[in-house]
Amino acid sequence: MPDIIVCFKWVIDEAYIRTGSSGALDFRSVNYKLSDYDRNAIEAAVRLKEECGGTVTAVTVGTPGATKGLKDALSRGPDKACFVNDQSFDNLEPSQTAAILTDVIKGRLEYDLIICGEGSSDLYAQQVGPRLAEALGIPCVSFVQKLSIDGNRIIAERKVEEGINIMAAQLPALVTVVPDINNPRIPGVKDTLMASKKEVISVTADDLPATYEPALQTVSMTAASMERNCITFPADQAGIQAFVEALAKEGVLR
Amino acid sequence: MAGIWIFAESLEQTKELLSIGSTLASKLGTMTSVFLQGNTGVADDYIACGADEVLVLTALAEDQPLDAYIPVIAAEAQTADPDIFLIAATVRGKDIAARLAARLKTGLCSECIGLKADENDRTIEMERFAYGGAAIQTVVCSTRPVMVTIIPRTFEAAARQSDRKGTIRELPAAPPSASTVLERKPKETEAKDISESRIVVCAGRGIEKKEDLSLVQELAAALGGEIGCTRPISEESHWLPEDLCIGISGISVKPALYIGLGVSGQVQHITGIRDAKVICAVNKDENAPIFGASDYGIVGDLYDVAPKLSDAVKNMKG
Ligand SMILES: Cc1cc2nc3c(=O)[nH]c(=O)nc-3n(C[C@H](O)[C@H](O)[C@H](O)COP(=O)(O)OP(=O)(O)OC[C@H]3O[C@@H](n4cnc5c(N)ncnc54)[C@H](O)[C@@H]3O)c2cc1C
Repeated sequence: MPDIIVCFKWVIDEAYIRTGSSGALDFRSVNYKLSDYDRNAIEAAVRLKEECGGTVTAVTVGTPGATKGLKDALSRGPDKACFVNDQSFDNLEPSQTAAILTDVIKGRLEYDLIICGEGSSDLYAQQVGPRLAEALGIPCVSFVQKLSIDGNRIIAERKVEEGINIMAAQLPALVTVVPDINNPRIPGVKDTLMASKKEVISVTADDLPATYEPALQTVSMTAASMERNCITFPADQAGIQAFVEALAKEGVLR
Repeated sequence: MAGIWIFAESLEQTKELLSIGSTLASKLGTMTSVFLQGNTGVADDYIACGADEVLVLTALAEDQPLDAYIPVIAAEAQTADPDIFLIAATVRGKDIAARLAARLKTGLCSECIGLKADENDRTIEMERFAYGGAAIQTVVCSTRPVMVTIIPRTFEAAARQSDRKGTIRELPAAPPSASTVLERKPKETEAKDISESRIVVCAGRGIEKKEDLSLVQELAAALGGEIGCTRPISEESHWLPEDLCIGISGISVKPALYIGLGVSGQVQHITGIRDAKVICAVNKDENAPIFGASDYGIVGDLYDVAPKLSDAVKNMKG
């Protein structure tokens, strides 16, 4: 019966980011969410547990503010969570997150399988999973759309440009999953209530053996501006005609 | 030792990275090395396109995945100490890049869309999309090598030059891999590649049933274009193949004309049409975000507008 670790990230919901009049990004009214692909990762872990038994531990690295994310993650079915939190764990770059996860997992958590989302919906660097696998010295199969456990190995369908590669790897192993793998469940009231009773192991920077310096520095984060005409026409005959004439004038109706 | 290193899966991708690599190499006064898998026939081609050195990776066993090369490349990097390592951002490329970066204890800029080098302090500023395409993040890397994955077809491919010389060197064979490929299945339906199409009409969730895609097809036919779709149409409804999904997790298009039918215009989709010359939309919600990203729009029910639009286009074109 496999012990599964699933990693998730509590991220800014990009739908709430506004562009100010100066063209700068305005984060004032943002909300947070469980990173989209991590919902698929949690669902994949919980379904494997429903099939094969075992345990599911959800792990996240973030600031103490990410507490809400723990409840959200736990309401989706994991047995317990590990919350690696510190005020300094804000805006980490992938090499730092992977290094922190490595140190946390090595000392504290038993695992046969680690599941991560293919990337986070905020920065989408798609690095933490593969980096973590390397640091732990275990096989990695990334971008997986179907996953099963067969005795002492995983069988994973990996989505590649030209089709599918069916892969096998010995446990312990790490996979990253793409959204095609499942439709994540939507937690009900009962699930949310249960979530608050589940165990949460808290780990802070003081409990970790290293300081984690970034290799990448973000120099700037600016709005991806797009200047467009923004002209609209009504749906009547005259409007449609005017629309088509506008296209003709642009020279795109050849 | 130093240099600009290049790893890609195909000839085309390698040549694209060579055009970036050669520019960087001349700016930084260094040379370019290109990895080549198995087939040594194209080594001269790479040299003609700007490679100073071709590093030949021994062909893998049938059941070995491409990541089997990681230990070979990492060992080579540890001795050669490259400045910059450019890798094509394919599925396997992104995976290999992240794992190599972990082994080499360095930073990696994923899915870079633009980069520039400063001759004086030799820093490389790299740009990429963040927040689903709403933002551009600019990063620098303070460790060696600077690793970058580059989305294929972002840059021009390098052209052949006549008088170039380079060396070819064979690398040791890859050790057995930790994972194996049991089977390679090609795609069931080979969809059309619309990334270079001149006109794209995009089906969004405003389309209620699969049969109604004919409305989109008719408009595309009237315009002489191809059809694409948003992610819900390919990934949730499975009405169209994924290769037609436009956006940050699908393909990018750069047509002269894009028309979205029943597309709301979320940033993840808009990122894929950024380079379209003219963007148009038909949506019944006048507040749909797509109108803010469009040049021309029609506010109305696509079921009513699309057929009329197809007729008007046919009349206009005569
Ligand atoms: C990490 C991540 C990655 C993503 N990547 C992508 C991606 O690559 N590509 C992508 O497309 N999406 C992507 N998405 C999803 C994206 O956020 C949107 O959900 C998606 O683009 C919406 O598709 P849509 O516009 O077809 O549907 P909806 O948002 O549901 O919009 C439908 C629109 O149709 C209009 N409409 C309905 N009926 C009619 C009618 N009869 N006539 C006219 N208009 C009508 C509605 O007013 C509405 O605006 C991603 C999301 C995440 C979180």
